[in-house]
Amino acid sequence: MTSSTVVLEARGLVKDYRRSRAVDGVDIVVHAGERVGLLGPNGAGKTTTLLMVLGVVSPDAGSVVIDGVHVDRDHSKAAASIGFAAGYLPLTDRMRVREYLTMYGQIYGLRDPKPQIAAGLERFRIPDLAEAMGTELSSGQRTLVGIVRATLHRPRLLVLDEPTASLDPDVARRVREGLGEICAEDGTAILVTSHDMSEVERLCERVIFLSKGRIVADGPPNEVAAAYGHGALEDVFLQLADQRDAGRRLEVEQTDRPA
Amino acid sequence: MTDMADLSGAADAARASAAAARDDELVRGWRLSWLRMRAIGTRHAYVLLRSPHRLFDVILWPVVDVLLFGSLATFVASGHTSGSARAAAYLIAGIVLWHVVYQSQIAVSTGVLEESWSRNMLNLMVSPITAFEYVAGVALFGLLKMAGALGLVTVGAAIFFSFDVPALGWGLLPIFAILLFVGWAIALFVVGVVFRYGAGAEALAWGVLFVVMPLSGIFYPVSALPAFLQPVALSLPTTHAFIALRALVDGKGIEWNQLALAAVLTVVLLALSLWYVTKMIEIFRKRGYITRYS
Repeated sequence: MTSSTVVLEARGLVKDYRRSRAVDGVDIVVHAGERVGLLGPNGAGKTTTLLMVLGVVSPDAGSVVIDGVHVDRDHSKAAASIGFAAGYLPLTDRMRVREYLTMYGQIYGLRDPKPQIAAGLERFRIPDLAEAMGTELSSGQRTLVGIVRATLHRPRLLVLDEPTASLDPDVARRVREGLGEICAEDGTAILVTSHDMSEVERLCERVIFLSKGRIVADGPPNEVAAAYGHGALEDVFLQLADQRDAGRRLEVEQTDRPA
Repeated sequence: MTDMADLSGAADAARASAAAARDDELVRGWRLSWLRMRAIGTRHAYVLLRSPHRLFDVILWPVVDVLLFGSLATFVASGHTSGSARAAAYLIAGIVLWHVVYQSQIAVSTGVLEESWSRNMLNLMVSPITAFEYVAGVALFGLLKMAGALGLVTVGAAIFFSFDVPALGWGLLPIFAILLFVGWAIALFVVGVVFRYGAGAEALAWGVLFVVMPLSGIFYPVSALPAFLQPVALSLPTTHAFIALRALVDGKGIEWNQLALAAVLTVVLLALSLWYVTKMIEIFRKRGYITRYS
């Protein structure tokens, strides 16, 4: 169930790196409470798009507005409405989980982060980790703590990069359930990237497929799969990956052809 | 249809109530900035206290410095030549005050490097903390570290070499302030280089001071430097601050002209460093260098 409030409005995003165009005119609009998967094979432009949404990479063209605030005009204010977690990021060294979460709670402006920390750890069923050092955690535990950190301040938009990578099915389920609760209770919208298509089908009500920096599909998972003549998102993913590889082969052949 | 509309309305009402609760939980204005600075300071306090090797900068290095230069000063003073006692005093006063530059610079630049080493850069950059709040948090914590280190060198100079630094008087305060801001300005330059070239440029955090130190004439007058380096030395605010310090050691009182010159040059240096670090962060965002940390 989503309301009509727009939380993320990205228009005409373009980003060039030295050798190639990473993102080529991407438009994404996400509403409150919506769970959106940003998908595509490696090199499709997902991470660059996310980093532009987060305001840590400047677009060459286009704009990002979070909860009514232009990211490039007032990053601090826009960032206060965003939470971000990535499965690959470690916890800060030499801090206990409670200390780490307190630090980020304060950075996000929480007057007293303790209740939110307790509720977050409880929600993801890891209250016993509060006094553990960050370096003592498994990758799955780190991911859960990262999501707790990202949701302490009840963000309007939660951006997750590969949140369930390397998680066992039980922890992945905890992540899904916890995120579902957050969306329902706080109206938080989720924008998530993942290579695990079955996980995306369970978590997201809408998927956006990127290929070569452009949006090639946008809609509910079953409708997107059907539009490509498949029954599952994984087959759409593989088809796009094959097209990317075929395109690369063609480029190499054209480059190698004598003039 | 009506049921759906009711449900949607209920969900929106629940979200409005969540938003109101969210607003009540938040701190705003200058209190928010102070809270963020405190959070960063506390984070670095944990890192310092839980990494014994990091205490080297705050405890061992100042003690080694005061022993090394204090002993050298004692040896110089035993020469019984005219001016040897004065040179000895320059050595001890110079090394004590040099630690203001060293500690303030190293606290800020290694603070930022710490985020790179612990791969915390991306989390911080997507958060609402501003660059000013972050640097101020690290710098304020650095002040505490510096107070400890300065205390050590001052007490060490008094106990081992009977040199009473506070006896130099209130004139030390403006010199201290100038050296503090110079340390922060150099740190901002180092931070800019790290943003532009990555953590590989970390050698600069320590190395840059080994260039500034001899050029600033912290132990000797500028005239002792090779002639071609003297104009460079005179363009540094630290040089004029140490000229003022030697005047205090000689009992000549406060050299306001030198202090004014040092203050102007410090403002110029700070402005250049701020411009440089801002430009480098702009390039960092433009070229997507954050991917080095993800």
